[in-house]
Amino acid sequence: LLPVISIGALAVPVPALVLILGTWIGVSIAERYSKKFSIHPGRLDSLLITSFIAGVIMARLVYIARYPDAFLPNPASIFSFNPGLLDRWGAVAGVIISSTIYIQRYKLPLWRILDTLTPFFAIMAISIGFSQLASGDAFGQVTDLPWAIELWGARRHPTQLYGIFGASAILWTLWPGRKLIFHSNPGVYFLIWLASSAGTRLFLEAFRGDSVLVLGGFRSAQIIAWLILGLCLWVIGKKLSSV
Amino acid sequence: LREIGQVKINRFLQWRIFTWLILLLAGFWIWISAVKPGSTTNGLIPAPRPGFLAPDFHSLDINNLPVTLSEMKGRPVLLNFWASWCSPCKAEMPAMQRVYADFENQGFIILAVNATQQDNVEDVVAFIHEYQLSFPIVFDTDGTVSRLYAVNALPTSFFIDADGIIREVIVGGPMSEALLRVRVEQLLESE
Repeated sequence: LLPVISIGALAVPVPALVLILGTWIGVSIAERYSKKFSIHPGRLDSLLITSFIAGVIMARLVYIARYPDAFLPNPASIFSFNPGLLDRWGAVAGVIISSTIYIQRYKLPLWRILDTLTPFFAIMAISIGFSQLASGDAFGQVTDLPWAIELWGARRHPTQLYGIFGASAILWTLWPGRKLIFHSNPGVYFLIWLASSAGTRLFLEAFRGDSVLVLGGFRSAQIIAWLILGLCLWVIGKKLSSV
Repeated sequence: LREIGQVKINRFLQWRIFTWLILLLAGFWIWISAVKPGSTTNGLIPAPRPGFLAPDFHSLDINNLPVTLSEMKGRPVLLNFWASWCSPCKAEMPAMQRVYADFENQGFIILAVNATQQDNVEDVVAFIHEYQLSFPIVFDTDGTVSRLYAVNALPTSFFIDADGIIREVIVGGPMSEALLRVRVEQLLESE
């Protein structure tokens, strides 16, 4: 648990730093192997930057639209650097809308773009795990197992480490430098990563101590992961049968 | 061609069987890992993070009167750790004072904990007069409260609901006035 590193008077938030580092490594590796999927690295760069900027702007606009009264006493807050003034669904909408427009404008193949971005997603999954380890988020259930860690007033499953191991195993198996038979079928590489990640989350969620419960005790993340897993396997089946 | 077609059908059927098998196994895992409602983070353990009970503490205020966090239960609290030399703390204090003035009559309270171990009382008093702060301010003279809340950076703010559960932690600053207003309104609505 290391939420902040103090460098002189400067307090650097470690979780954010880890995510930035993960983004940089992920983008570099995705660019390195982009030609394998017939995508120009420059296009990938522009797509990611455009999506990021659109995501941030949309996240702030949606937040302002949701809570306009909060900005009236001090309108300068609109330009505040507080990440707490961003709406996550606004960010998702901004990324989807801007990337859809970009992909259509430059007539880019969607499945190939997703295949190219798969190493980026896989590395981000690992860096999210490290970020959660630093902040203490995504903590585990109370346990007396010998590898339990002391966190938030109890000995708990080190679920952040489980997540890092799971995401690392997926990245190692699906490393883009390997010769994998499904690289030739657009979209299958991405879908296999997504299905593996959903399966891993579904399994590991059982050890989490912060799950949101629905329907009388079921963990909502597991239900969402089950739906994603099913959808991915169904689409992969369709794609493989059409070869 | 018929053979190729048959191979395709067999492969598709195998994949469908695999898919259903995986989904059944996953469904079984979801079923056995279900827990009783409220058995995950339910605020019973005191810890300085969202979803947990805010750790209780006692401290002395500027008038040397004892202040206890648990006595504020039933009211939403913004627990803010600060120091007079800290620039982001200075930047967010006027907004905090305005928001406190607007929401105080609805039960909202700000409890500002001065990190006195790394500050000095004279500067703190001058600061309070300069910014005309009217909310309670306590002194953390030996760093006990900062350690209890694992404060690694100033300012750090904890938004605590009326039940004493921490709802959000904001490390660093300055917090904008809009952010403060939204969070306080959410705390008041959740009462």
